[in-house]
Amino acid sequence: MNLKRLVGLDTLANDYAYADDALAGYTSTQRLAERWVETTCGYCSVGCGMLVGVRNGKAVAVRGNPLHPVNQGKLCPKGLSEHHTLAAEGRAVYPLLRRNGALRRVGWDEAIDAMVERFIAIQAAHGPESLAVISTGQLVTEEFYALGKLVQLGFRTRNYDGNTTLCMASAVSGYKRSFGADGPPGAYEDFETADVIFLIGANIADNHPILCHRLTKNAAATLVVADPRVTKTAMLADIHLPLKPRTDIALINGMIHVLIRTRLIDPDYIERHTTGFAELKASVERYTPGYVAGITGLSPETIYRVALLYGRARAPLIAWTMGVNHSAQGTETVNAINNLALITGNIGRAGAAPLSITGQCNAMGTREAGFTSSMPGYRKFESEQDRNELAALWNIDPERLPRSRGLAYPDIIEGAVAGRIRALWIIATNPIVSFPNLDVLRQALNRLDFLVVQDGYHPTPTTELASLVLPAAIWGEKEGTYTNSERRVSKVNKAVDPPGEALPDFDIFLRIARRLGCADALFPGWESPRDAFEEWRRISSGRLCDYSGITYELLESRGGVQWPHPPGADPDSTKRLYTDGRFSTEDGRARLIPVEWRPFPEPPTKEFPFVLNTGRTVEHWHTRTKTARVPVLNYLSPRAWLEMNPVDAKRLALKPHDQVDVVSRRGRVSGVELRVTETVAPGQVFLPFHFEETNANAVTQSAFDPLSREPNYKQCAVRVEKTPASKRAWR
Amino acid sequence: MSGPVTTLPLLERASAGDPLFVINGAAGPTGAPRNAAPLPRELAEHEQYRFHFDMTKCIGCHCCEVACNEQNGNPPHIHWRRVGEIEGGVYPLAQRFHLSMGCNHCLEPSCLRGCPVNAYQKDALTGLVLHNAEACIGCQYCTWNCPYGVPQYNEERGVVGKCDMCYGRLSQGREPACVNACPQGAIEIEVVDARRWREEFESANAPGLPPAESTFSTTRITVPDAIAANAVKVNEHRVRPEHPHWPLVIMTALTQLSVGAFGALWVRVSAGESNGIAMAAAGALAAGLIALAASTLHLGRPVYAYRALRMWRRSWLSREVLLFTLFAHAAAVYAALLWLGRAPVALGAATALLGLGGIFASARIYRVPARPAWNRPYTNIEFFLTALSCGPMLMEAVTGARGPALWLAVTAVAAQLLNQLLKLLMLARADQFELAASARLFATGLRNILVLRFALALAGIALPLCGLTAAGLIVLLCSEIAGRYLFFVSVVPTNMAATFVAPGSASRRHRRAAA
Repeated sequence: MNLKRLVGLDTLANDYAYADDALAGYTSTQRLAERWVETTCGYCSVGCGMLVGVRNGKAVAVRGNPLHPVNQGKLCPKGLSEHHTLAAEGRAVYPLLRRNGALRRVGWDEAIDAMVERFIAIQAAHGPESLAVISTGQLVTEEFYALGKLVQLGFRTRNYDGNTTLCMASAVSGYKRSFGADGPPGAYEDFETADVIFLIGANIADNHPILCHRLTKNAAATLVVADPRVTKTAMLADIHLPLKPRTDIALINGMIHVLIRTRLIDPDYIERHTTGFAELKASVERYTPGYVAGITGLSPETIYRVALLYGRARAPLIAWTMGVNHSAQGTETVNAINNLALITGNIGRAGAAPLSITGQCNAMGTREAGFTSSMPGYRKFESEQDRNELAALWNIDPERLPRSRGLAYPDIIEGAVAGRIRALWIIATNPIVSFPNLDVLRQALNRLDFLVVQDGYHPTPTTELASLVLPAAIWGEKEGTYTNSERRVSKVNKAVDPPGEALPDFDIFLRIARRLGCADALFPGWESPRDAFEEWRRISSGRLCDYSGITYELLESRGGVQWPHPPGADPDSTKRLYTDGRFSTEDGRARLIPVEWRPFPEPPTKEFPFVLNTGRTVEHWHTRTKTARVPVLNYLSPRAWLEMNPVDAKRLALKPHDQVDVVSRRGRVSGVELRVTETVAPGQVFLPFHFEETNANAVTQSAFDPLSREPNYKQCAVRVEKTPASKRAWR
Repeated sequence: MSGPVTTLPLLERASAGDPLFVINGAAGPTGAPRNAAPLPRELAEHEQYRFHFDMTKCIGCHCCEVACNEQNGNPPHIHWRRVGEIEGGVYPLAQRFHLSMGCNHCLEPSCLRGCPVNAYQKDALTGLVLHNAEACIGCQYCTWNCPYGVPQYNEERGVVGKCDMCYGRLSQGREPACVNACPQGAIEIEVVDARRWREEFESANAPGLPPAESTFSTTRITVPDAIAANAVKVNEHRVRPEHPHWPLVIMTALTQLSVGAFGALWVRVSAGESNGIAMAAAGALAAGLIALAASTLHLGRPVYAYRALRMWRRSWLSREVLLFTLFAHAAAVYAALLWLGRAPVALGAATALLGLGGIFASARIYRVPARPAWNRPYTNIEFFLTALSCGPMLMEAVTGARGPALWLAVTAVAAQLLNQLLKLLMLARADQFELAASARLFATGLRNILVLRFALALAGIALPLCGLTAAGLIVLLCSEIAGRYLFFVSVVPTNMAATFVAPGSASRRHRRAAA
């Protein structure tokens, strides 16, 4: 502090001055932009259009894009401060290679040499599939497309998956089972046109505020929210269903039971567009309201009433997020939801859809163009026709394409523990905070011979463990496309240069391919993401996710286009999938899939009497790699808390703001601030998962959906103890 | 003012029939005008702008807060708009409501009334309460006066800042940043007739908020129909000690000592005694001057301390500065003349009276409704008893006398302890949240200092009685300083609800990780 400031002659008036920005109007001079770059938000899958203000090569401001069809100018608090993620402290700025135990700066050539040489050596010694790759939902579609080819055809390992398996894999496999293909059939407009909106395990007020904005525009709709916790969203509901944790399958089966019995189904739709109704009908026979009431804790009348409400609705929307997906029965829950929509014909019409709200900004992009749980363009590994078609398009021998998918994320981790996976490449994700059962994950990463972590930030809890850190450009520093939850492809543009020597992931992939010697074969003539996009348009042509009519120019002019979009298509005609009742199955019919409710894997016991629920808060994104570095967000939400019902707190003699430990069979989260609140039921506690310091995944379990491999994050058995005075984390 | 005002550009636009001025978040992302209802219209006499906040629409996303922070380029911990929570009900019928608040642009703004430098004005055109950072000297008195905690001190700048409803944006026909950012349309700008509002201000009240009538907050709040009877601020169990304001601890304690000493000296001199008087006066003067020097360190802009004299007609802070300045001048002349052995008795009386006036003004500064534990006679009594105990004790310690002044001092110490005990009793029995919370602070984190303060005061009685007057003075002064420290940190201001986890309070582990 200088003397002029100390005596008060200087009040930093220049820093706190205001001026007129041509676009934004009167604003702090700190926010004055020389130019505004149109782009799409890089946090969640809502896919809001925004403008990034740039001055002197720095991103200084963000504004919602008024012309973007998704958000109409609005943004959530993370979006409103997103420019701070770019110049934040802790960006990865040059490659780091571990030598003698310490990460040391190296040049890009040396880094790529080291990576490729080690990978090849390990693959030579332990087989090609001893290399695994875990990517993300954060890259642009062009990068996912390039990465898939590089991993599967370049490195020739099938063991490639994304952190999207921790997020929406159950929605993917649920859609595939019911409809024959992935792809959310609805549109955000449905929030505005539905007459009944049924949210299951979705706290959109906290996690997708801009969808909440769209929902609240629809004042006439009846909002039903099924959530064991009284979330902000549940409080907005006309009917809140405070069901017991993970009993949603019973609830939905009960609704189907009532609808069949009361003939509030659409026999014509069932007859023409589905198969399996008889089996479904038989399977829900015992899900009477009384039986379901016993499982869910809801009254039989409530179940009956909600079923009738849905059955009599003109256009009911069902939307869900992690309350459904984060479950060892997630896929089946999605199937149950789809069953409900199908037997009532509530799909493919305005307002009526079973809509999975996705997590990350471009989780959809990796689902479409990636090469993880299916081949690019929703092509199935198992289908010879799909393999032949893709091989022909790529001009390669069909035998080079795998006939089945490789290991999913949790199985890669298990493979590493077992020593089958020896080298791992992690891209834009932070498993130390996001993967369940931290202890097992640490064992896995510690056993690896070589761990490459490619990220925009360093240090993160994961880059700290790396053998090699590759510094990547992030949102705002590169070009490409994102697809949002309503299949809307939006353009992502570069506003500023990456810091230091960091490179766009796309460039990193190209460099690796060149070093590997497969660049010309895989990426012929490619220089920029546009080249990948042009190839992807051809590859996706004729598929459900048809991009062939989409160009960068069209995206820029329309603020996003929903696929499928063949050339010349009317962008407004593809708002919804399955409008004609034809599905992507071989017979064109959707499958009704009987689903049985089962209790969640780890019920509470005397020793671990609470069901731990995990989730998010509006200020933070995932593992806080970004939002912990945005000062205003971290100020608003600096640390975790544990929600507990007053009845339980009284019994345990705990008071608000006490520091508590959450203990499971697997580990302990220490020093969490206790929030005594009526928003959670007795016997349940809730912990946000964003915080490395109080890592919820120290206690979560290794239980996975058998079909999607998605972890059961939402329920595990814990006890709560007062933190010993000597171990308190804060005052 | 009379007749419609049309000089603010936005009003010119409105009066010219431009239908584009938007106040309800329906504008584009930049708050730029779009087709919407043309409100606010031009203001008639007695009308002003105000916020409307709809508690039934808010989902607590904090967009307004972040947008405000961005708009004003404020550091992460300064939030001119804040969002708090109240919670009630019983599972599963639990309720949580959010309150977002900027400035309430009160009809009788207490920030403005107390400001010693006239940095605030109630804008003649719009009725908005505006703060001028250039005029501000960083005394932070407004932050004590506002019952809602609206003005916030920016220590980096040395001045206060607050919400001005984005006056600059309004002038452009754009909506404020918070209104523009709110995805739920929960914040709006309206026009209110100030005369009618004095009758209808009830709708400025909301659960968890201080009563609106203290300043006639103009913010209209739409409150949900049925709020559970057990609804409380979610932060009600989180009570933290306030800032100690060390320069003010020193300043108040030493001015009171100095005034008390000059009063005692005047009585002694009037009685014709002169032994050691000049030395005692020098000591008392030194204490007074140290106090005044210390007081400037409290300011964000010490170089402009003189500006604080300006608003003596209105602000008790100005009056305090004025009276103590006059006191210091009189005391200096009086002390000099005592040294020369020919001080007029009248000057001694004037010095003491100016000083007593200064103490009275001091006490009035703290008698603000927004700080309930201060807003009691205990404050005035405490300040005068500090003067009555420390001042005579100083004189007796320097002159070596053991006269009635010593007995007065010792009695005043005992009275001070009684006063403190009565205050604690009042706090402990109080229903009002802020008073009960003060009692909780005394019973928990401040307990040890409280015990120390009492022990020192008892020593301050015992030592002079044993003949150790100088030692008695030192422990007494320590006791009063400890007491004054407690005075500052134990007050719990009125405020809106906050969030559950204290903002900005990352765990030690996390701070370590960040470092």
